[in-house]
Amino acid sequence: MDMLELARKVEGLQTVSSLAKICKIGKRTAVNYSSLLRKAGYLTTAYGGRKIRIYRVTSLPRKERGYSFYALLNRYSRVKLAVKQQYFIYAEKEPCVEEILVRAVASESFRVVLASLGLFNKIRNWSRLKKFADMYGVGRKIGALYDVAKTVMKIRRIDQRTRKGLKNGKGGYIIPLVKSKHFQTIEKYWGVFIPFNKADLEVYKE
Amino acid sequence: MISFQEQIELFKIIGLELKEKIVCYAIGGSAMMHYGAKVDTKDVDLVFLEEKSLEEVKKTLSAMGFDEKQSMIKIFKRYETAKKTPVMMVRGDERFDLFLKEIITMKMSEGMIERVRETHEFHNCIVKIVSPEDIFLLKSATEREKDKADALSLLEKFKLDWRIIIDESLNQTKLGKHLFPVYLFDFLYELKEDLKAEIPRKVLDDVRKIAEGLLEEKLNVKGKKRSLGKKRRV
Repeated sequence: MDMLELARKVEGLQTVSSLAKICKIGKRTAVNYSSLLRKAGYLTTAYGGRKIRIYRVTSLPRKERGYSFYALLNRYSRVKLAVKQQYFIYAEKEPCVEEILVRAVASESFRVVLASLGLFNKIRNWSRLKKFADMYGVGRKIGALYDVAKTVMKIRRIDQRTRKGLKNGKGGYIIPLVKSKHFQTIEKYWGVFIPFNKADLEVYKE
Repeated sequence: MISFQEQIELFKIIGLELKEKIVCYAIGGSAMMHYGAKVDTKDVDLVFLEEKSLEEVKKTLSAMGFDEKQSMIKIFKRYETAKKTPVMMVRGDERFDLFLKEIITMKMSEGMIERVRETHEFHNCIVKIVSPEDIFLLKSATEREKDKADALSLLEKFKLDWRIIIDESLNQTKLGKHLFPVYLFDFLYELKEDLKAEIPRKVLDDVRKIAEGLLEEKLNVKGKKRSLGKKRRV
């Protein structure tokens, strides 16, 4: 079977069912087809809600690239993002969760910052987080978002030395000209404008 | 020729050598390699929006053993009228073409910047890859035979959004002096006739109508200017 032709036929986002429907085959055969496409480099698998397998099929075989920022963010966060513009980081080592969190906050994009809140749960090394926050000049923003995240989910405790250290960073808007109605105490403490209201964080309570 | 892997290695070295973060846009064959639409390229074409960034990369390339080449190869239509020509850095059979805001006759428009599909960060060097539609339009403004083959490859590999291509060609006409829809029509017609490319008839008709309209407009303006000149002479 010509894999390129098959990839063109089923290009885009697919599930096992949709793949079976397009190719007019059974679900079990569709899983086998997906495996063949993956081996040829035309398919990558992601997991959607309720752990449904989602296949991303492209007729352009993927080449070896750097680390995808959004793939890493989606791996760590509970809020998954659909990507319009891919961002690849070429580095010797895979960027750690601390670096991804800081980069996400520095991106000044609403969805990315919202998705980054889930990453606080994965932080193991607080001093590394501070190091990256200093590097990108977002110390206060990280501190404020930590406090916001704490209001909606269970998070590891930040060590006090890091917390104090984060206050050395620059304040201001996390997302240009976006303010909150609900987190004014946190905003006042950190000198930062939180871009979320309580309703925006419902996604973490589900 | 530069392969995809060699290109990545070159960018990595440039990124490590640069002292400050710079942003540039990859166009042409270099961008096509990122999309998997080409195996290798003759040159890496980069567009900069700031002169400082261009100078920094030029300096870095010089430190890496690249020499600036003065003689130009005629690639684009109406090359002579172009005010801004690229900085060409050569090392053996590797070549970097560095453009500042303009790609000979075309300008790096806001639309092109918004349509960027991928960003690659090589330490301090951030390379953004322009969309396949914009690569196609840029290819249509050249005169090289191999650019037609590249355009054909783009047509085969991507579902190009013709509306974007037509709109951008009109936008480029607004930004500059050249009638890009006319070039685009020529290019599409040649692709369809000579290389049997699958271009919808409706797209060709639309581009032809736009091109004819623009040509008529231009001729009318010229005609009016001439008649005014005659009157003055009388």
